[in-house]
Amino acid sequence: MNAGLFLGLSPLLVVSFGGLLLMVAEAFSKRRVDETSDDRDAGPSSELSLGTAVTLLAGAVFAAAIWFVGPEKLEGASLVAPWVIVDRFTLFFSFLLCLGGALAALLAGGYLPEHRLDRGEFYPLIIFSTVGAMILAAAGDLLSLFLGLETMSLGVYAMVGFRRASLRSTEAAVKYFLLGSFAAALLLYGGALLYGATGHTDLAGIREAIANAQPGKGPNFAIVITAAVLIIVGLAFKVSAVPFHMWTPDAYEGAPTPTTTYMAVAVKCAAFATMLRVLIGAFGEGGLESWAAGWPPVVALLAVLTMTVANLVAGQQESVKRMLAYSSIAHAGYVLVGVVATMRAGGDAQGSVMFYLLTYTVSTVGAFGALILMGSRGAEAVSYEDLAGVGKRHPAAGFAFSLFLLSLAGVPPTAGFFGKLYIVKASIGAGLYPLAVILLLNSVISAYYYLRVMVYMYMREPAPGAPIAKPMRSGYVATALVVAGVLVLVLGLWPTTSLQIAVEAALATR
Amino acid sequence: MSPLDLVFQYWPAIGAGILGALVPRGEASTKQRAGLGFIAALTTLFVIWLWPTEGAAQAAQAPNEWPHLLNLLIALPIVGAAAVLFIPRQMLSTLRGFTYVVLGIGFVASLWLLTVPMTAGWHFQYIKDWMPSLGIRYHVAIDGISLWLVLLTTFVTPIAAYASFGSIKTRIKEFCFALLLLQGGMIGAFLALDLFLFYVFWELMLVPMFLMIGIWGGADRVKAAIKFFLYTMAGSVLMLAAIIYLVWTHQKLTGDFSFDYLALSRVVLPKSAQLICFWAFSLAFFIKVPMWPVHTWLPDAHVQAPTGGSVILAAVMLKLGTYAYMRFSMGLFPGPASNLSANLAGVAILGGILYGALVAWKQRDVKRLVAYSSVAHLGFVMLGLFSATPSGMQGAVLQMVNHGVSTGALFLLVGVIYDRRHTREVDEFGGLAKVMPLYAVVFLIVTFASVGVPGTNGFVGEFLVIMGTFLSERLGKFAGIHTVGAAAGVILAAVYMLYVVQKMFFGPLTNPKNKHLSDLTVRESLALAPLVLMIFVIGFFPSIFLDRMKESVLLQHNQFKVVSGQAILFADDRDAKLLPEDTFSPVFLKGMPKKEKTEEPAPGADTQAALGGEGKVAQ
Repeated sequence: MNAGLFLGLSPLLVVSFGGLLLMVAEAFSKRRVDETSDDRDAGPSSELSLGTAVTLLAGAVFAAAIWFVGPEKLEGASLVAPWVIVDRFTLFFSFLLCLGGALAALLAGGYLPEHRLDRGEFYPLIIFSTVGAMILAAAGDLLSLFLGLETMSLGVYAMVGFRRASLRSTEAAVKYFLLGSFAAALLLYGGALLYGATGHTDLAGIREAIANAQPGKGPNFAIVITAAVLIIVGLAFKVSAVPFHMWTPDAYEGAPTPTTTYMAVAVKCAAFATMLRVLIGAFGEGGLESWAAGWPPVVALLAVLTMTVANLVAGQQESVKRMLAYSSIAHAGYVLVGVVATMRAGGDAQGSVMFYLLTYTVSTVGAFGALILMGSRGAEAVSYEDLAGVGKRHPAAGFAFSLFLLSLAGVPPTAGFFGKLYIVKASIGAGLYPLAVILLLNSVISAYYYLRVMVYMYMREPAPGAPIAKPMRSGYVATALVVAGVLVLVLGLWPTTSLQIAVEAALATR
Repeated sequence: MSPLDLVFQYWPAIGAGILGALVPRGEASTKQRAGLGFIAALTTLFVIWLWPTEGAAQAAQAPNEWPHLLNLLIALPIVGAAAVLFIPRQMLSTLRGFTYVVLGIGFVASLWLLTVPMTAGWHFQYIKDWMPSLGIRYHVAIDGISLWLVLLTTFVTPIAAYASFGSIKTRIKEFCFALLLLQGGMIGAFLALDLFLFYVFWELMLVPMFLMIGIWGGADRVKAAIKFFLYTMAGSVLMLAAIIYLVWTHQKLTGDFSFDYLALSRVVLPKSAQLICFWAFSLAFFIKVPMWPVHTWLPDAHVQAPTGGSVILAAVMLKLGTYAYMRFSMGLFPGPASNLSANLAGVAILGGILYGALVAWKQRDVKRLVAYSSVAHLGFVMLGLFSATPSGMQGAVLQMVNHGVSTGALFLLVGVIYDRRHTREVDEFGGLAKVMPLYAVVFLIVTFASVGVPGTNGFVGEFLVIMGTFLSERLGKFAGIHTVGAAAGVILAAVYMLYVVQKMFFGPLTNPKNKHLSDLTVRESLALAPLVLMIFVIGFFPSIFLDRMKESVLLQHNQFKVVSGQAILFADDRDAKLLPEDTFSPVFLKGMPKKEKTEEPAPGADTQAALGGEGKVAQ
């Protein structure tokens, strides 16, 4: 056995092993005896939520530790390449995914007991989905990529339908499941075509075959391009880019909010990791990365559509949860701008994409977490009216929500501002001026609906007789919010170090 | 090192200690508070020690210039705003008192700025690396132009606070927070010489103002607040794109990232890019000024904002637009600024001075009228800047201060009558001079100032601007017509202002609701007194103000003239270039980021390096 290999895979192993332990623990944990009981601590959730968060954070810590040791020093780790690649890129995403998952698990620790969904299987699901997401981010081969994608998605399908008694939740799960499978099929089909054209399933091999193409001998470019389109469409489903976003609002709205959080951060980040790996790793040469004959204009079109449509529609929503769903689509659009910029600006642009995902993760977890915090038993805060006057009655919760919304809107000095700044900087550096300007104008549109939440919180009073949303009391949610809030401010005031880490991670794939 | 300096070196630690001690709610023991405070202070000290010290603070060592003064002016309100969050909301008098103390210390500290002779170039300069890998620095400095605007800010905000606490009774805590944060943001924006820092402060102001209009405003406040926010943000994001483009170009030319205003003013963009970037910057500033046709947010915001908010908005925030145009648009893009000045002056006169005055005349709501009169007055300021003559620019800076004083006073006065009658319709009033004699007198004085009667501040500013317009070479053959238009604007100002005065204060006292109105209260008189005094101080002794700004304005003017005269600005070339350092005055370039590499693209690098080096030694 090889110690380097074990160490290299340790984030994955730690999380998987922790997940198995938690499954056992869940099986032996005591059940809530009386479903109507008001005792929130009676269910298994509290301990399991903490256990899940600790497990995932341990994964993050291991990833960080390997980062400091240097993954290139672990000789045995290359044994599993290209199925699982242990490089700085993988470690960065492992850390990010574990962080997002841990925060979502903490939110679930408050949400599930409060809304009587207190069943322990949620936590193993979240852990194994994260394992899938980590494999997805680490995959250097189309087969392991597909494996990771399915592992991640299956867990999430179940988590979306977790509120079994609710029709909307079930509808959301079915919708997500059907479209998700469809997207996976497209991806698989694209992979099969690529294998047919190049004889390789590993990304490096595909890249080499495309780069060394010779007329009459090399891979058939018609097939390669068809495959590229299929793969891009498949990934666009996962990151919910317009026009492949139709499932997103319904699934996000119907799912329990911690699931929504998890989908918005971890699933999206993993999909973007794959997108970067595939677009740059497999289609990074042979003219496919050029503006004239490659994927950049396609992705640019997706980016413009995604940003604009999502922002315009988000402004029309009457439900805050649905608005946040559209906002997460819009953010995918901003990230796609950064993805386009990687074609010319290289490592910097890719680093800015990864940094953006970090800032997006902390802000989004915060925003959904604040929304969770606003509701309590039986009365989830969903619509704008539910939030009326919250800023006055519960200043701390209102302040936290405002902070995360301002970060999402990109107001300095919050994390979200720097995320946008670096993406704009990368795209201007790559000469993509129109994209940068469209992104910035879109962020103005987005300010409208984020501000609307603040307007309701601070400037409106609840209508007389309307049910008043009572914020829940949960140490777990509060902890998650404090962690996210501190990260939003720290990344906003001292972004340099984390950006350098992101760039360093990005350079590992080049 | 004096104890004060020690305090300033470690202020984050001290602040963190105090905050830590305040965090526990309710009845925490002294030991617990002390312990928490100690832990917070230690953690912060740890961060300070670990902070990269390479290229650390460069502070001006000139005599009497205490390097941390500007930091104090910026940080005090912001730290104060954070501290307000820890004061319980029931302790109203503590909240108010704390706000007064913070604003008062700010005002007194800003008076220190006057003790230094304002020679050309930067004073009280303080530079510290913030994000070295991107060349973003915390770079603040003051010159004769920003001096008066900072003083205006520290002078008007306490007055606005004092007046507001008379009429605002709800959610005092949030109000104190917003007010202090706003103050910090505005002062920061006036002092920042790093474009990134400037942008951060520029955006930082939006949120508190948004809250101020939206929470304490009138009936239609939410719409006005959102309109204000979106308008301003739409302008500023385009500016952000232009800033980044400029920074990239600078990086391509020199190899270094820098957001520094001084370094970036050397960059000459290709001609078309110059024009686009000029518009991206200027649009942001024109929206803030506001210039026609992007002024439509202003009447709504003013009418809906509470009195204190209106005062700050009119007196200080609008000045940020004019100040930033003068500093950044003219400084970074002298080519387009010079080429377009005749056209823009036409817009300022037709759209600002004349149209603003005519629309103001038609208003029946006094507050709306004052808001439109702001459009007209700021038209004068912009006209002075477009004329780009020394007297025009001096007049513009003075007129910025004047407008702050007189329009601030007008909004206070409108607030007085609104508090009594809850209406601002001109037709509701008449003959008020009989019941409110003192109020009528003050209103008349401020009206004179606003119209520009000799002996008041408005006269000096408008006179300088009109003279500058007439003498301007840049306006070419249109200078005469422009002057006539501006002079007509002065007459129109008299028409609409005196019309209001006549309608409100004279004639028969017909409306029975007005018969028992009380005259100015002590609080209202105290708030208005300093403004009325300033009207006469500036009116009779303008040289106090002009002398201190003269050298800075001349430097700015000469630089604009020299740089906009460079042929390479207008060469139809697709490559960006760098102006040699000796195009600029060495005092201007003081504090420019030092070159890491010794490559100098322009010939004669040695002499320039020596020149630049001299400037640095002189610090």
